[in-house]
Parts: sequence; structure tokens; C-alpha cells
Amino acid sequence: MAAIILDNLSKTYKVKVKGEGFSNTLRSLVKPEYKSVEAVKKVSFAVDEGEMLAFIGPNGAGKSTTIKMLTGILHPTSGEAEVLGLNPVKERKILSYKIGAVFGQKSQLSFHLPPLDSFRLLSSVYEIEKDLYEKRLKRLTDLLELGEFLDSPVRKLSLGQRVRCEFAASLLHAPKILFLDEPTIGLDVVVKHKIRDLIKRLNKEEGVTVFLTSHDAGDVENLCRRAIVIDHGCVAVDMSVKKMKYDYLNKKVVSLKFSEQASLQDMKGVNILKSTPYAVKFSVDTRTVPIGKVLAGLDSDNLADITIEEPPMEEIIAAIYTNGREVG
Amino acid sequence: MSKYLAMAGISIKNSLVYRANVTGRIIFYFVFIFVFFSLWSMVYSGNEIAGYSLRQMIWYVCMTELVVFCSGSGIFGIMNHEVKSGEIAYQLVRPWNYVYKQFASMLGNITFSALVFTLMAIILGMVFAGPLKGFNAAAIPFIVVSFLLSIAMNFFFLMSLGLLAFYFEENGPFYFIYQKLLFVFGMLLPIEFLPLWAHGILRYLPFSLITWGPAKMVVDFSYGYAMEIIPLQIIKCIGAIALAQFVFSRGVRKVNVHGG
Repeated sequence: MAAIILDNLSKTYKVKVKGEGFSNTLRSLVKPEYKSVEAVKKVSFAVDEGEMLAFIGPNGAGKSTTIKMLTGILHPTSGEAEVLGLNPVKERKILSYKIGAVFGQKSQLSFHLPPLDSFRLLSSVYEIEKDLYEKRLKRLTDLLELGEFLDSPVRKLSLGQRVRCEFAASLLHAPKILFLDEPTIGLDVVVKHKIRDLIKRLNKEEGVTVFLTSHDAGDVENLCRRAIVIDHGCVAVDMSVKKMKYDYLNKKVVSLKFSEQASLQDMKGVNILKSTPYAVKFSVDTRTVPIGKVLAGLDSDNLADITIEEPPMEEIIAAIYTNGREVG
Repeated sequence: MSKYLAMAGISIKNSLVYRANVTGRIIFYFVFIFVFFSLWSMVYSGNEIAGYSLRQMIWYVCMTELVVFCSGSGIFGIMNHEVKSGEIAYQLVRPWNYVYKQFASMLGNITFSALVFTLMAIILGMVFAGPLKGFNAAAIPFIVVSFLLSIAMNFFFLMSLGLLAFYFEENGPFYFIYQKLLFVFGMLLPIEFLPLWAHGILRYLPFSLITWGPAKMVVDFSYGYAMEIIPLQIIKCIGAIALAQFVFSRGVRKVNVHGG
């Protein structure tokens, strides 16, 4: 069953246009001119219950606008959105009890007070029963290892500690859908792992649907099976992450170690990245030459080790951002 | 309701962090009262002006300034900033009424400072003017209700003006005009100082009901007056709430302009 449905969802902003110079400033006072910016253009897709979807795209592609429409913050210009069977705009308040949102660049905690105070406030805001709140807080405190700093003012916390608290704040009311807008931005590797583990556990144990936007390829690769790439307000790619990796770049990176000195024969579609007398690293364009053919041409008796890697996710995403419109 | 009480509670805690801010405003309050004391001492040569003795006049200013200092919680600036920066959008993911949430937050924020300012107002009134003749303690509940209504009314009007940022790129002039109207029609002068025809009109306008209404109740209390002013304040307060809700609910559709 679909948890989120977007049907030709569009959002157009009206932006005031001001020309340079004093005369244009005066003119805009008398007769202001506006231009329309289509941030999201007839976007349609569905997200199943329990699915973890990566919603990615370059800056200004329309990711945040879409999230804000789905959480009821923004009114769509046209089209429909349905989240857990509710209209996000008309039933925003009911919906807000069922969804959680983490905006990586925006804190929802009281800056001068300990996170515990914000959590207590949120338990009242979400009308969570006291026992339930205590249980939930304990679970999240354990999962996110918050115990040490629950009593420290938020302003004294490190970014990693604060973001962990942001997650706890968004999860106190046990939302069915979690909207994550660049949740791991600026975090170190350890905290990123903790956050990813938490998201995976929530998805597995509580069936939480995750709608993730991130510029971190690691988030996409580690968490999501499916990715939608949005560019200039349109869906450019909608496919499984695995398929995206397999199909999109058509590239494999092969590292070989030899028992004796050797070199690789030139072959069309093979690009040598690094070469030493006993090792070679090269990429294979599988559209030009199948990987099997390249490997068949190797002297297997002289092979000490072989590693075949897929290109990093970052590279795939960068390539899609560059050529997104050509892919479908 | 409990969520708004919790919001007020957390705002009280937050406000205690900004104690230096309250101290600064107390000094400013003292300067204001001193300036008005000096001004009215110069103006008063006879016994009374428009029914007010000098002593009543000093107390009157202490009270009108008290309303303004208590309700001047910066809501206009907060709204202006939240709308223009798009931060208002992040508040909308919570299951609360944004207008009431802000009100609860303001009540929490001013609780501590209102107690301090009330104490200051009484001390300064006693020092600069002396005890009010014929002041009846039975008037206190009416005065408190009238003050709370004034603060609420002022808050919702200021919030509405701040929310005009949804519609206007520069909404500062509205705030400027409102502040000046508040200053002239009730804060600086009791409306009885104005011509009779103007007095008749101003009695029913929100500006004077915010400042003149409760201050007059302190310096010249009568049950008849309380029964006239408090219902008027309730009506205007309901109107101010409706206005803030209306401006917000219409404006929130435009949040896209600034939200991104």
C-alpha cells in the first residue's frame, strides 16, 4: 500500500524582478514586475509503506519544496498529494501527528535549554501519554546514546550531539513516515553511521517509511533501495539504487595484482588508471566491451589477486545530475 | 490546551536565560518614567488638567509604560523575521495552532519581566508621585484583567502587523504608524486631554483601550468604568485574535515566496 502519492504535483513561485539602477528601483515601486519560477513540475510517483526512498537532486532542483508540500507546509500550485491517505494541506494538523521531519540545517530544539526540556514540550505538543513518553525517550536515548548530554543546554552540544537530539525530537511521537532533509549534513563518519543505523532499525522494527533527501551518496547507498533523481523540478530518474549503479555508468573498476611482472594489453573500452610492474588498476566501459571479455584476456596463472569495484555512488549521482534529462 | 501551557512553561525557562535583557529594559523604563515625571512636573502649574492631578498623571504614565514594556515582546520582529526567512515553515510541521503557540510563548516570555516591571512601576510611582489617593484594593482584580486584555490585544495586533510580511516586502511602516498611534492616543496623553469629539471616538478604538483603558482604571477606578472598558477590551481582543488568525491563514498560502 502506498504511504505517499504524488499526482502531477506542481509548485510555481512568484518572484519579484528588479532591474539595476535607481530608475528601475523607482519603476518597481510604481509597477512591480514578477516572474514565475516553476520549482516542481508535474511530479508523480508513489512511495510504499515501509519503503526507504532517496529523493536526490542538485541544489535548487525542487527537493525541499516537494518535502514541504508533502508535510503540508507549502500549498501546491496544482496537482494532488496524499500522505497516509490524508491531504497534507487540508489535513496538516492530523497529518503532523503521524509524520516526523528532520531538517539538517534547521534546529527544532530550544537553543538555551537542555534537549530534555524540548522533548517534554514535544510530548505535550504531540499529546503523548506520560508512560509512553518515558518508554519512548528511554529507547531513543539508548539507540542514539543521548544519556551523557540530555541535561546540557543545546548551545553547548556538538553538531553530532545536536543532530542526534533532533532525531530523537522527531521520533518521540513514533511517526509512520520520517521526512529527512539532508539529515547528515556536516556530520563526521561515526555519527553518520549511528544515524544510518538508527534509520535502518526504525524501518525494520517499526516499519517507518523514510523519505530522504541528501547530498551524501553514502546515505543513499546505505539506506535506500530506490532513488528518485529530481532535476529542474522534474523526475529525471526513478529506479532501484542497484539498477542505477549497474545501468547508469556502465563502468567497473578492476584492480589486478600479478605474481610476476606483467602489463595489460591495450583494449577498446579499457582505461588504465594506475600501473606498476606488479599491479594495474583500470576502468572498463561495459557498453564498449563486456567485463567477461576483458577478464578472459588475462593470464590467469600470473594473477595474484583481483578486485572488481562498482564506481562510487557519488560519481553516479554526479553523472546523473550532469546528464539527468537525457536519462529516463 | 496542555500543549500551549507547556509552550508557555518552556518560554518562562528560556526568558530566565535573558536576564541581562530584562535589566537593560528596566533601566530604560526608569529613564522613560523620569523624563515623563520631569515633563509633567513642568506642565502642571495648577491642580488638575482634564481631571488628572499631577500624582495621577505620573501613575498614569507608569501604568501605560508598564503595558507597553510587558507586551513589547518583540513579536513584530519575530513574525517579520520568521516570514521573510521562511522559518515559519518549520513551525508548521507541528500539531499546534501557530497563532496560539506564539501567544503562549509570549505569555511565558513576559511572566518574569512582567512581575519585575510591575514591581518597578509601583516603586517608581511611589517615589515620583506618592500613594494614590482613594485607591481601593477591590479594584485590583479588575485592573489585572484589564492589563492582561491590553497585553493580549497589543500582542495580536502586533502579530498581525508582523504577518503582513507575507504580503508586503517592507511592512515596517505599519509598525511605525501603530506605535505612534499607541503613543499619542493613550500612552503619552490620557484621551481626556483631547477635544471632546475626539475623546468620544478614541474611547472605542483599540489604541486607547490598550493603554488608556487599564491606566485609567488604576488612577481613577469606578465599577461603572470597569464594566464599560473590560467588555470593550474583550470585544477588541477577540477581534485582534480573529485578525491575526485571518492574516496568518491567508498569508500561510504565500509562505512559498520566502520558504523555498
